Amino acid sequence: MNKKCICEDHYDVDEFTDEQWAKVDKIIDKYCGKPGALIPVLEEVQAVTGFLPEVVQRRVATGLNIPLAQVYGVVTFYSFFTMKPRGRNQIRICLGTACHVRGAQQNMDALEQRLHIKQGECTADREFSIDVVRCLGACGLAPVMTINDDTHRQVKAVKIDEILREYQPENDSSKEHYDVCKN
Amino acid sequence: MSAKIRTLEDLVIIKDKVDKVKSRFRLRVMLCGGTGCHASGSLKVKDVLKAEVQSQGLADQVEIIETGCNGFCAMGPVMTVLPENIFYQKLDPDDVIELVQKHFIKGEPVKRLMYTDPVTGVTIPKLSDIPFFSHQQSRVLRNKGLVDPESIEDYLWRDGYQGAYKALLQLEPNEIINEVKVSKIRGRGGAGFPTGTKWEFCARSEGDVKYTLCNADEGDPGAFMDRSLMEADPHAVIEGMIIGARAIGSHQGYIYCRAEYPLAIKRMNIALEQAREYGVLGKDILGSGFDFDMEIYQGAGAFVCGEETALMTSIEGRRGMPRPRPPFPAVSGLWGKPTILNNVETWANIPQIVLHGGADFASVGTESSKGTKVFALTGKVNNIGLVEVPMGATIGQIIYDIGGGIPGGKKFKAAQLGGPSGGCLPAEHLNLQTDYEAISEAGAIMGSGGMIVMDEDTCMVDMARYFMEFCQDESCGKCTPCRVGTKRMLEILQRICAGQGQEGDIELLEELAGDIKDSALCGLGQTAPNPVLSTIRYFRHEYEAHIYDKRCPAAVCSAMFTSPCQHTCPVGMDIPKYIALTRAGRIDDAYKILKRTNPFPSVCGRVCGHPCESKCRRGQLDEPLAIKNLKRFVTDNAKKPRVKEIPVTRTEKIAVIGGGPSGLTAALELKKRGYAVTVFESMPEAGGMLRWGIPAYRLPRKVLEQEIRDITDTGVVLKTGVMVGRDISFDQLNGNYDAIYIAVGAQKSWPLEIPGEDAQGVWGAVEFLRQFNLNEKIDIGKSVAVIGGGNSAIDSARSALRLGAQDVTIFYRRERKEMPAQEEEIVAAEEEGVKIEYLVAPIEVMRQDGRVIGLKLSRQQLGKFDRSGRKRPETIENSEFVVRADAIIAAIGQNLDQSFLSKTSNVLVSKSTVNVSESLRTSNPKVWAGGDAVTGPAMVIDAIAAGQKAAAAIDMSIRVSKGEPAWVQPPHEYIEIPFEIDEETVECPQAKMPELPADKRRRSFKEVELGYTMEAAMSEARRCMRCDGNSD
Repeated sequence: MNKKCICEDHYDVDEFTDEQWAKVDKIIDKYCGKPGALIPVLEEVQAVTGFLPEVVQRRVATGLNIPLAQVYGVVTFYSFFTMKPRGRNQIRICLGTACHVRGAQQNMDALEQRLHIKQGECTADREFSIDVVRCLGACGLAPVMTINDDTHRQVKAVKIDEILREYQPENDSSKEHYDVCKN
Repeated sequence: MSAKIRTLEDLVIIKDKVDKVKSRFRLRVMLCGGTGCHASGSLKVKDVLKAEVQSQGLADQVEIIETGCNGFCAMGPVMTVLPENIFYQKLDPDDVIELVQKHFIKGEPVKRLMYTDPVTGVTIPKLSDIPFFSHQQSRVLRNKGLVDPESIEDYLWRDGYQGAYKALLQLEPNEIINEVKVSKIRGRGGAGFPTGTKWEFCARSEGDVKYTLCNADEGDPGAFMDRSLMEADPHAVIEGMIIGARAIGSHQGYIYCRAEYPLAIKRMNIALEQAREYGVLGKDILGSGFDFDMEIYQGAGAFVCGEETALMTSIEGRRGMPRPRPPFPAVSGLWGKPTILNNVETWANIPQIVLHGGADFASVGTESSKGTKVFALTGKVNNIGLVEVPMGATIGQIIYDIGGGIPGGKKFKAAQLGGPSGGCLPAEHLNLQTDYEAISEAGAIMGSGGMIVMDEDTCMVDMARYFMEFCQDESCGKCTPCRVGTKRMLEILQRICAGQGQEGDIELLEELAGDIKDSALCGLGQTAPNPVLSTIRYFRHEYEAHIYDKRCPAAVCSAMFTSPCQHTCPVGMDIPKYIALTRAGRIDDAYKILKRTNPFPSVCGRVCGHPCESKCRRGQLDEPLAIKNLKRFVTDNAKKPRVKEIPVTRTEKIAVIGGGPSGLTAALELKKRGYAVTVFESMPEAGGMLRWGIPAYRLPRKVLEQEIRDITDTGVVLKTGVMVGRDISFDQLNGNYDAIYIAVGAQKSWPLEIPGEDAQGVWGAVEFLRQFNLNEKIDIGKSVAVIGGGNSAIDSARSALRLGAQDVTIFYRRERKEMPAQEEEIVAAEEEGVKIEYLVAPIEVMRQDGRVIGLKLSRQQLGKFDRSGRKRPETIENSEFVVRADAIIAAIGQNLDQSFLSKTSNVLVSKSTVNVSESLRTSNPKVWAGGDAVTGPAMVIDAIAAGQKAAAAIDMSIRVSKGEPAWVQPPHEYIEIPFEIDEETVECPQAKMPELPADKRRRSFKEVELGYTMEAAMSEARRCMRCDGNSD
């Protein structure tokens, strides 16, 4: 839970479409007035916006009529919420115990090395992001990694390149485009 | 839309209806649709299977059901075909056509898709015969693999909601609670609090609004029981909660499920909808007048929300932080109202308890822990999956009988129970019962049921660091002990893993752990130190190796080394370098690298136990690199530079007793440091066990002699045929030399300690091999019995063949997988015609006129686990049998022959080894000892390492006493190391070692292994992944 203060982030630019905002408002309306609604609202909103930058948090706070501080408090508390954008391809690497014992850390090292980003970050072109999950409950397939909706089982560090290639945009497979997403 | 169920009759009608439908099908295919199998591609298999069954016109004969998690996740996608109960695994869409054609149409099950026992290699068609399933007892998972979790009618078919009916219409709330109390069920979430008592508290609490919660925030990494239960049998959880709600008078419930389980959430939602539709949830349930409804609350990823008060805060929409108790949730829980919270597995047990009575549940288990428990068995174990066993089953039974043991012939190290709040239990606890109290006494906790198996490649310090990192990351920050304390502990552990551990770190960890346990607010903090404490308790030596020796014995903590192979080699041979040079074809340079750290590379290239290969990262992909064979290739093909004499520059004289690998290595190292060194060897030639133990067909004498000559050429004086204690006394050496290194080995075979052992024809393996290697005539006879399972047993057996024996049998008291001998040696012996009998132990030597004529043995069976983590052989009564034998060779162990020591030598010996300090110094300050004499029989490379260590210690001691600075190794010649790796890593096995054909070598003393060709060596060297990176 080592999240930075919101003021250090610069994703406060409104990059969302009107359609997205309309969906966000609809979610807020659905839950407005219900006790304990904040977390389900944020879950659904994140599904629409992809991440929860300040602008989105403000909208939720205003909509539910609760302090922004409370929204921010919840967003930074739960690992499911992110204030940074995610990649078009979301890599989630399981670092649960079974995966750890079977070499997940080596996979993580290989991924970070290959994409030139750290866990929790996103490549500058927003193609890939890496997130750590603590157990997907698929320990029988350890070490496990999911990319979007695909589950990759018994992943080996030397095969990371091969796996990533499947997800790279076709025209720039040779491109070394992975720089840290500098905010 | 069906009518709502109002009576018990309605339930039975549906049950009968489903039964009729199911009985119409000739075959019922239960395809697993758990998360694991989905990820392995079961959905595709299902689609293809459905289409194929349809197109073959079998739709009315074959029912296809996607079930919940079957439990055998690692074999996914899996499927069971009823009624024959045939189990298929690792299915691919391409297999389906064959399966339908052969099995569904012709009635011939497809063998190649069945389960094969990894140990015996036998194919087992029926699910109920597979050890993974046959040792389990399904109670809470009774419906797994049998029902469609998305069909309430399937659940009703399995007597579903009959428990709820009984609770709502036939029992009073206090009777329900009483039944639960009688069952003695304890919370399956981890803490083990008696469920009935919890309910009773809540039922007594005043209040018009009460809540019934289900904790499905299965946060323990490595645990997936709750996920599987929700996926396989969601209605059982719902039914349990309805019963609980009725018991306490609650009308609203929540299932708090983690967001990582989308499939479980989906199936729970479907189940809730159906339950409402059928009138078993919502208003006026089953016509009882009782109202109860529930919803699913999706967690947002916070481990601490598994703690009950934090979970409730989270449902309230706030940061999920715990609060102090009391008041307990039973009095003031969610939104300040009386609340009960139970874990998924606890809830799923409730319907059966109510339906069949608490006494039935309590009939299973131990005194204090009743019923069954589901474990998520993962990690380094053959059969990964979900297992349900009666409480009281031992950890060893779960790991070995159900789990099938450790893969890849590796050694079991520990089982981690209870996730980040639990602990690691070592081999000595394999007989421990799964019982709340027994497990916590041993330093772990039952927890929610995660059981992660660790083998010799797992570093326990890294494990402790991992869990501490987890807890630190998940600490909510509310209380200082947990927020700051776990951070400090983590920093210490990170430091130790990075090779910067300091003296006192272990004690500091223990102190901090105690403080955090005592003062943290909630369960997360109070239990966070457990993994550290349990690893310190059982694996303190690993912490010490990290802190003092800067070594990670499992070769995991990569900050301490450049490559795992080099780190694992007792003498730190620079393996990646010589392999890189081999790949570049620079064999002569590779040889120079070999010689820097090991004076016996040709020997080690043939007979080393190669621990390096067991840690080779390539092994995680296909097979480890053939490091030993490559080493041999280099030594066979390199130009060997002539060794120059090293001048004596110091006045001190050093005596080495024993001209084996350890003694000779020490002599060379001391010579390099300028001492005059004399080696005393009792045999006519030097070499020790290399010369007198290992037969020439494994290690040609020329090879050995060359390497010994390289040592004597430096000016080391070698006196062969001089036995200390006979030709010269120990006291004389003590007087004439400034220091002595004892490296006499373990030269005496252990006796069998059975009647008749003194008969003519009974040999100890060491003595037999010595005679054999002295080329003395041995009348071995026709039938030879060898007793033991180590390398000496194999060497003896193969040598006996070469002496002309017709049939040679090794008798070993355990199973093959437990044999300490190297696998390739065992195979070579078998190829030559040596027979091996397992699970037999000798009882008596049969003799006539003082000569051996036979051996009486008894059959053994495996009992409980011994401290080494192996099952102890126990004699089967009345199983004695006699085999004919003209000679018997006992190869069950070796110990020190201490006759060379005098009474006044002041060198302490215990049992069968010489006592030494950490720096190999004996109780006599002038005397050091190492090798087999200290360790008992070990690898050559260990003896060489001991020689190096002792030489450095002797030198250091002399220099310190004279106030001189430490010796500095002169710089090595610069050799440029190429860094070349293949772009693409393609799986390919080890290059095979060419051998003499078995029929040609059986009676021959020629070297069996022929060595790699240039081509084979180069391609093998290319397999190296260069873990050392660009370090040079």
